[in-house]
Amino acid sequence: MVSPGMGLAHILLLSIWRQAFQDVNVLVIFGFGFLLAFTKRYGFSSTGFNLLIAALGVQWAMLVEGFLFSSAAEKVKISLHSVLKASISVTAVLISAGALLGKANPIQLIWMAMVEVAAFSTSRWINVKFLKVEEHTSLMHVHIFGTYFGLAVSWWLYHSSLSERVEKEKSNPISDLFSMLGTLFLWMFWPSFNSVLIVDLMEKRNAICNTYYAIAVSAVAAFALSSLSSRNGKIRMIHIHHAALAGGVALGFSAPIIPHPCIAMILGLLASMVAVLGSHCLQTYLNSVLKIHDTCGVHYTFGLPGLLGAIVHVILFIIIKRASLSSLGYLALIEVGSFMLTTAIGLGTGFITGFILTFKLWKTLPASKYFDDQAFWEFPHLAYGF
Amino acid sequence: MPSAFATNMRFKFSILAIFLEVLIIVLFGIFVRYENNQPIKKDKLLLYPFFQDVHVMIFVGFGFLMTFLKKYGFSSVGINMLIAALGLQWGTLMQGFWHMKEQKINIGIESMINADFSTATVLISFGAVLGKTSPVQMLIMTILEITIFSCNEHLVVNVLRATDTGASMTIHAFGAYFGLAAARVLYRPGLKEGHKNEESAYHSDMFAMIGTLFLWLFWPSFNSAIAHPDLQQRAIINTYFSMAACTLTAFALSSLVEHRGKLDMVHIQNATLAGGVAVGSCADMSIYPFGAMLIGSIAGVISVIGFKFLTPFFSSKLKIHDTCGVHNLHGLPGLLGGLASIIAAVAHVKWRETDSPSAPMQAAALGCTIGIALVGGAFAGLVLNLPFLGQAPDENCYDDSVYWEVPAEERQPAGQFGDAGDHRTVNINV
Repeated sequence: MVSPGMGLAHILLLSIWRQAFQDVNVLVIFGFGFLLAFTKRYGFSSTGFNLLIAALGVQWAMLVEGFLFSSAAEKVKISLHSVLKASISVTAVLISAGALLGKANPIQLIWMAMVEVAAFSTSRWINVKFLKVEEHTSLMHVHIFGTYFGLAVSWWLYHSSLSERVEKEKSNPISDLFSMLGTLFLWMFWPSFNSVLIVDLMEKRNAICNTYYAIAVSAVAAFALSSLSSRNGKIRMIHIHHAALAGGVALGFSAPIIPHPCIAMILGLLASMVAVLGSHCLQTYLNSVLKIHDTCGVHYTFGLPGLLGAIVHVILFIIIKRASLSSLGYLALIEVGSFMLTTAIGLGTGFITGFILTFKLWKTLPASKYFDDQAFWEFPHLAYGF
Repeated sequence: MPSAFATNMRFKFSILAIFLEVLIIVLFGIFVRYENNQPIKKDKLLLYPFFQDVHVMIFVGFGFLMTFLKKYGFSSVGINMLIAALGLQWGTLMQGFWHMKEQKINIGIESMINADFSTATVLISFGAVLGKTSPVQMLIMTILEITIFSCNEHLVVNVLRATDTGASMTIHAFGAYFGLAAARVLYRPGLKEGHKNEESAYHSDMFAMIGTLFLWLFWPSFNSAIAHPDLQQRAIINTYFSMAACTLTAFALSSLVEHRGKLDMVHIQNATLAGGVAVGSCADMSIYPFGAMLIGSIAGVISVIGFKFLTPFFSSKLKIHDTCGVHNLHGLPGLLGGLASIIAAVAHVKWRETDSPSAPMQAAALGCTIGIALVGGAFAGLVLNLPFLGQAPDENCYDDSVYWEVPAEERQPAGQFGDAGDHRTVNINV
């Protein structure tokens, strides 16, 4: 990363790293925790279980990554960098937990976290080892992987009563504001998330700036499209929570290589459109046909913008490398193959995990107890409405 | 139903927003590029933590500070985000136009900080008109205000060569007086007797406190982000002590001016921040911690007094209704900051090693900032008064449900949070 003898420069770089590590931590623990806190009776569980599985997942990810990626059979070496990679890997679990929000109990979530972290690390290992995907790109697959893993698990936990929004699944003004707090923290720290693994300083700066402008465009577009897509021109909070983030997700892969802010901004606009369109079409048509219930809308927040980003990444890859390489077609195929593979592994392992999670052994929740804190938490007093 | 109150903004708002967005993307495509020629310096990237702190202040700090109204939380945070996200793009362009090289605007981390700064002016003005404007009006105001702001900033920094590191004058005083002038033009006689939704509830005050705390925490970064690297540490320390002193005097004064010595949450939410505003202009001067604490203490005092006496006077006599009291949090302390910088210049306080700022230039900067803000704000107010911008009628002010899909509130037992018997006002759709 830094050649020896660059004492001061090294210290400077380390301080940037430490800061970025802090940002990613805020994003993962605080941002995701509060983003999920939008259902009116599930706030304790949303933030609490998020912390639980994030804390568990990071430790487990450190071990799994260490076993898979370290060459010799010695001790696993860790550094700030490996903790950072572990935190980003855990994002996959948090996204899946968003799809399952309110329907799984802590035991199921813990098992899902263990399996998913292992599966994601393995998928990443295949990508890096055999397809020679860059480390940054391979880690940015978390969005796609987490989404499709979560959706596959969600298919198993489907219950016919979920076809309509039950009363407890709705939000109230206060829970929506808490969710907005989470959204803002995710939104603000997304430039850190997209740039943290990049070593080259120029690329790091470009990744930060690209994400900053793209995610700003996505926020404005989210407001505009939300108003446009409702009959009485009113803005819906759920669109703001999700579509505003889409730009950051879509930019994950290609943030460092986009040479011009304008391209990033167009991508942000497209991602926001995909997310708002997705929230209308998927929730009403696809999910009811496939019998998938996606509580937090992770499919259109992380999944579709992630796929869009992956496709754009391939296109940019071809444009940038078109003059210099003879085996361009082959390399482009590898790029396409890598995110297809990630999606497939996500769906496959998610399907198996979901099947296992339906066993009676885990004391699965009856559908009447879905979206309810009271199944798991001691209340200081009986809160109103329960 | 008069057509002026057509609050259905489905096409007006979305088409205007998309149009502005496409326009900005095209302008970015033509004019903007990354600073590319030289290998990037590491100290540029060291500004990134400062940027991140300022970013938190703009989006969470300002956003949640305004959530104190009991039925206006969505708009406070949401429209705050909309304004800031649009404003930072427009601000990059407007500030960049003054510093073009070879017909191109070069951007990097520093321009991101400046872009975030430029949005702060609009957010301050938004506080003055909070609850009385539509999102369509706010889009227009964002574009107008940032354009005028960047001209004024260029005048103060590059023409007059005044010092305003923490931007007491160019951002805080400018934003406040711009907002007040706009609020004067947009005055609604129908709301003279107050409005039933213009009050806080227990939980909304708690949300506002989130905003206050984030602003308070990160203010040292705000005042030092664009300081000279050698002077950054001084700016951080001065701001830190000023904020601490200000908090103490704000608590003290709040208890003093209220009956029976109780604290008023409005004062705690706002006046505790005045110290950061007031010390801005002198933050990187050698004013010593006692100077910073003096400025902070005075700022806390005038801010609380402003809330207690000046805001009611403005509202009843001058027909300026200032919802958030931005005059007391940003206007008066901003003026104080400008005056402090003049005094510091007269007293030959050291600034960059040897030289001290020039007093006439500081005074000129303060004067022209206030003048441009008032004229610009009045102009913006006139534009926003156009009747087809989706304004809400008087009885639906301070209510999210005019522009937002608001989930139904559960019936709460009477007395809990103090707003029992809650009936949303009927939405008016034409």
